[in-house]
Amino acid sequence: MKILEIKGLTFSFTKSKEPVINDFSFSMNKGEIVGILGQSGSGKSTLLRLIAGLEIPNKGAIHIAEAPVVTEKLFVQPEDRSVGMVFQDYVLFPHMTVKDNLLFGLVRTSRNERKSRLKEMLELVQMEEFELRYPHELSGGQQQRIALARALAPQPKVLLMDEPFSNLDSDLKDSIRLELRSILKKTGITCILVTHDRNDVEAICDRSISMSRIGDGNVSSIEKRIRIK
Amino acid sequence: MKLESVKRYAKKELNGWWIISLIGAAVILLPILYVFLEIFQEPNENWYQIREYLLGNYVINTIILVFFTGILTIFLGVTLAWLTSAYDFPFRKFFRWGLILPLAIPPYIAAYTYRTMLSYTGIVQSTLRNQWDVQINPELLSFSSLRGAIFVFTIFLFPYVYIIARAFLESQSSSYIENARLLGRKPTAVFFKIVLPLARPAIIGGAGLVIFEVLSDYGVTSYFGIHTITTAIFQTWFGMYDVDTAMRLAAWLMFIIIGVFILERLLRQRKRYHLSNKSKPLVPIKLKGVPAAAAFMFCTIVLSLGFIIPLFQLIAWAGLTFDKVWDISFFTLLTQTVSIAAISTAIIIIVATIIANVCRSKWAFPYILSKVITSGYSIPGAIIAIGVLAVFIQLDETLAPLYSYMGLGDAPLLLSMSIVMLIVGYVIRFMATGYNAVEVGFEKIGTKYTEASRLLGHGITKTFFRVELPLIKGALFSGFILTFVEICKELPLVLLLRPFNFETLATKTFQYAKDEMIHEAAIPSLMIIAISTMSVVVFHLIDKRVKK
Repeated sequence: MKILEIKGLTFSFTKSKEPVINDFSFSMNKGEIVGILGQSGSGKSTLLRLIAGLEIPNKGAIHIAEAPVVTEKLFVQPEDRSVGMVFQDYVLFPHMTVKDNLLFGLVRTSRNERKSRLKEMLELVQMEEFELRYPHELSGGQQQRIALARALAPQPKVLLMDEPFSNLDSDLKDSIRLELRSILKKTGITCILVTHDRNDVEAICDRSISMSRIGDGNVSSIEKRIRIK
Repeated sequence: MKLESVKRYAKKELNGWWIISLIGAAVILLPILYVFLEIFQEPNENWYQIREYLLGNYVINTIILVFFTGILTIFLGVTLAWLTSAYDFPFRKFFRWGLILPLAIPPYIAAYTYRTMLSYTGIVQSTLRNQWDVQINPELLSFSSLRGAIFVFTIFLFPYVYIIARAFLESQSSSYIENARLLGRKPTAVFFKIVLPLARPAIIGGAGLVIFEVLSDYGVTSYFGIHTITTAIFQTWFGMYDVDTAMRLAAWLMFIIIGVFILERLLRQRKRYHLSNKSKPLVPIKLKGVPAAAAFMFCTIVLSLGFIIPLFQLIAWAGLTFDKVWDISFFTLLTQTVSIAAISTAIIIIVATIIANVCRSKWAFPYILSKVITSGYSIPGAIIAIGVLAVFIQLDETLAPLYSYMGLGDAPLLLSMSIVMLIVGYVIRFMATGYNAVEVGFEKIGTKYTEASRLLGHGITKTFFRVELPLIKGALFSGFILTFVEICKELPLVLLLRPFNFETLATKTFQYAKDEMIHEAAIPSLMIIAISTMSVVVFHLIDKRVKK
């Protein structure tokens, strides 16, 4: 089953006429982890924002779990797309504890289920004893785990990760990469990971796409490489 | 863009928040448009008379006030900003924020305080006469003149230039100044060749605020008997009961305001002022001996004239009239002022928050919307009042059949005699103060938390209450205090729009002063100053937090 399908996606920012993403097509199967590589300005983060519904494409369509979320006529709001996202700087709500941050996304879950889901998520990222801490009381690596748990808690159909390692020390990265892959595989989630570091992709992803500019234009090209882990 | 795409955009962006914002903007814009449209109506006889015999004088007085106050506030504001940011001298830290205090005294209070102090029976002349037997030519100390008004506006409004210029100098200019010093230039050359040209946008921004205040003023000019366009609006309304001519005058004043706006933009553009991205604070040079004493004296004199002297004089007068003024009617006055200001401020903050939230989207339209709703601040209270009045009279006329059906009599002036009119006036006039504070709050948190919350399944409204509101509540609080204080101080708008017999601290103070009951005016004045000091303290706290 195709969990994510993108057809002929084109996007440009209001002020520039050159498209950042031009006629981009791509699809993903359930449980796949795909890395998107590219230099800054190549449109890889914009692609995530388009999938999440935080930007509107000029042209093209996106389907999630075979249901259209954006077409020429249709636009489904971000909160109704069942997409989870781990932001570059994690964006944990500073006025909420770890527990409240995790419970925040469980809007469509019953009260009893919420508790068990919270426990399950904290166990998954091995942060059970940090439940009552505030984000500023956590280290960078701990914040990242909580951000991941928060995004996974509502059981989204697709998980998007935008440069999740950019705020971490290099020696911490290696251990976290392996841990992340094992968490993702354990949950069976379909995931897109955007990064500029090839090592991230090699350690975590099943396949990768490189986005780059051709010549002076902002035309993005795709280069697929299959990597079976 | 195809129709389908427009529909899709609308689906993403349009929601209840947008609808409330558009209604809010319409309410704010309507009275201003009403004033503008008056230009296209056929004028009446009063207008021809005013134009023939009086308008020239009004315009000349207005220009003189604006020009000299503008120049002098720039001189005082920039000099003090430069002194307190580039040099270190005794009590510099105290003066840094102390020099904002003159803003806590509304110019109309300063006007009657100084005029009385300098009068024949005032403290200055009587002390000279009784202690040293010195007689001064009364002409020399005559304060009820353009000269006196310019003095009052300069001493009590210069902090607008000072605050903006200082913030700019402290945060933006260090690398240029250090470079100029390393290139061997002396402090005066650095000031004139580097600091002044660089700080030009900041200085013009501050001076713009001063000019708008002067154009709005009614208290000082009417107390001194100086005829300006604003006082003329009052005369035609209260003296001739001629709303049409008052609106026509307001429309002309509006053109002057637009002229000032365009001039401000023209003066600011063409040059780039922020080339250096890395800004570090300016390290002040330590002054010693005579220069240090001179800097200290200069700041002390300005602070004394702008705050300490009038404050002590008012306290002394308050002591004389305390038993007479401090009674149950004063308590009523205070309650009325606080409640009307609190209600208006609450409406402003709620509407400002809704609109500021909507304006975070990346369309071009929200930018225009934010400009429209904040336009009230540069429009004098008298113009807004006339516009609101005209709209409410029209509303009453339109609703007359409904009133009659409800058994309220034939064509009563229901809305235009009510407190609602004053509240609407306040909301339009001070929306910008609240909006700017709220906008700063939203800018600080960015859009990431909102996006995270929406991806976790929450809609716009729930996201606002659960995520954004707790994060911007500090900004909302400071916005509330700043707006509340502005409303408590405001005079021209409340004089024109208040219901019969409705008094606030500002109107009572002005009434006492007009009736030459200067000592009685001291207690309400001190109350206004105490409330205004709150905003200075809030400003100081924000500044401290930003520095941290």
